[in-house]
Amino acid sequence: MSHVLLRNRSQSLALAFHRRTLIGCALALLALSGLLLLSLCLGSSVLTPTEVFSAAFQADSDHRFVVHTLRLPRALLAVLVGAGLGVSGAVLQQLVRNPLASPDIVGVTDGAAVAAVLFLAWGSALSLDWLPPLAIAGALVSSALIYGLAWRGGVLPIRLVLVGIALAAALKAITTLVLVMSPLSTTVRAYVWLTGSLYGAQWQDVGGLLPWSLTLLPLTLLFARQLGLMGMTDSHALGLGLAVARYRLLLLVCSVGLAGSAVAFAGGIGFVGLLAPHLARGLTGQTMVGRLIGSACTGAALVLIADLIGRTLFLPQDLPAGIFVSAVGAPFFIYLLYRRRH
Amino acid sequence: MFKLKFALPLLAICGLAQADTLTIDHAMGRTELDAPAVRVVTLYQGATDAAVALGITPVGVVDSWVEKPMYQYLRDELADVAHVGLETQPNLEEIAALNPDVIIAAKMRHEAVYDQLNQIAPTIAHETVFQFKETLDLVAAATGRTDAAEQWHQNWDARIADFQQQVAELDNIDWPQQVALLNFRNDHARIYYSSFAGNILNELGFERPQAHREDVWGVKLTSKESIPSMNADVFFIFMTETDATVMENYQDWTSHPLWNTLDAVRNEQVYRVDQVDWNMGGGPIAAQRMVDSVFEHYGLE
Repeated sequence: MSHVLLRNRSQSLALAFHRRTLIGCALALLALSGLLLLSLCLGSSVLTPTEVFSAAFQADSDHRFVVHTLRLPRALLAVLVGAGLGVSGAVLQQLVRNPLASPDIVGVTDGAAVAAVLFLAWGSALSLDWLPPLAIAGALVSSALIYGLAWRGGVLPIRLVLVGIALAAALKAITTLVLVMSPLSTTVRAYVWLTGSLYGAQWQDVGGLLPWSLTLLPLTLLFARQLGLMGMTDSHALGLGLAVARYRLLLLVCSVGLAGSAVAFAGGIGFVGLLAPHLARGLTGQTMVGRLIGSACTGAALVLIADLIGRTLFLPQDLPAGIFVSAVGAPFFIYLLYRRRH
Repeated sequence: MFKLKFALPLLAICGLAQADTLTIDHAMGRTELDAPAVRVVTLYQGATDAAVALGITPVGVVDSWVEKPMYQYLRDELADVAHVGLETQPNLEEIAALNPDVIIAAKMRHEAVYDQLNQIAPTIAHETVFQFKETLDLVAAATGRTDAAEQWHQNWDARIADFQQQVAELDNIDWPQQVALLNFRNDHARIYYSSFAGNILNELGFERPQAHREDVWGVKLTSKESIPSMNADVFFIFMTETDATVMENYQDWTSHPLWNTLDAVRNEQVYRVDQVDWNMGGGPIAAQRMVDSVFEHYGLE
């Protein structure tokens, strides 16, 4: 048996899992679970896995506060953020047929950043709870703008990329302008947001991000077959009976929603979206389903490791995860490219 | 008779309990403490300074901005105190491990983690990080040292009045003088209007040039063409003097021909002052040290 096929009766939806994909995904999920447990054990105080389990499930444990209130929501948020960014990146790279694509090029990070920085600079009268929804709104507005500007009787990937890069530059300029003009005290907060951090993650943050992940991740997986066809030229995909324009928009919306919601809760760590699909390559097979699940796992692992390093390696300091996403991800990325060459 | 016998001790207990409960209104709401706090964690520089000013040694403090891990002027008092990370991202696990009675935070820095801090210990937050008098009162209220704070305020007011009286009697200057508070970074210069030091200079009786009277923190200057906008009778300049790139930029700006056209430069009233006392300390002790240095520069006792 080379693969397992899941499909509905009318055969309009189908998910194929090749054996290699299945084994790869199982291993990746297992490794991710191990990493999750490790990050719950480590911190200012080192706990045993038994202590972690009792603290997570029993209200009267000594370590209840540290595990249940501090570490668990933070680790779960890291997983959701990383998975969202990883899948978003994988979808975009396939959509625009360019391995350098990341959520940044459709304006997600920069759109969210402008909204967040504006809010931090002049919205202090409002509660901080408004930050995530406003950042998501910023991401959606800027990607809609890019899609609209790239429209010429349809949207070609290359136009999307070029318009995206131009608008991202303009949005970056606005962010810088706001930083220069804003009150001195708020620039510190804005810089921390721009770096990207999971510091202070709470259950309500996990609850805020979870609906996005739970709808958009399965939805993207369901359209894996169509996404696979998108990798060919438009005329090939059309010839194979794919409604190219419709699925491109649909998958783009999924990708923007995933990245936008992730960035809204963790700040500017969009770099994960570029790296994760490449790190996943060879891990979970070359099928689209495998690549999506693999990107979710590597993205989650990357953010989890970056946050773990940030909050344990320099104790008692607790540093933003965004610093280490690039510090860990970039050298590993270069190593992979180097190894593939030889 | 019996009634009275029983009622008296009861009343006394009630009275005691009443006196011991502290209610403190602050930027994040109202906090009640059953007893004056003994184990205090301070999450911003000014609060750490205020605790020391009241004779309290906190059980946990955040790292200082410069002279890490703690400003020289507080090092002796805080030699053995635990550090809980950065002011912008204090380590919650470390704070919880210290088992504090109260946490002093700043809404400006810690609003996002206020709920979690409050679960560790009752948390009292000031709106900002540089209102040293209000910070002192907050820490005093939480630790039941309002008498010590009152004493501090009296000493402060006396010191300010002393300066105003002495400076008015000086023959060589025309009081009140207009002041500008300058700061040089490695790629730009700043004029601070209302800030920690700015507010104290106002209290001492200094005036501002007309253009500096806006109610904002200050302004960044990126071009040397704007040097004339610094103009005032006297300059106080603070910067990171240990940073070679900052000093290079300072040399650049001050060797520009426009610099010599400024009143303070012509009056020879350009004073370099300590950035910790004037800007980064943010607490009552730093404020006193700052005022001391103003006395010194004016040749007063």
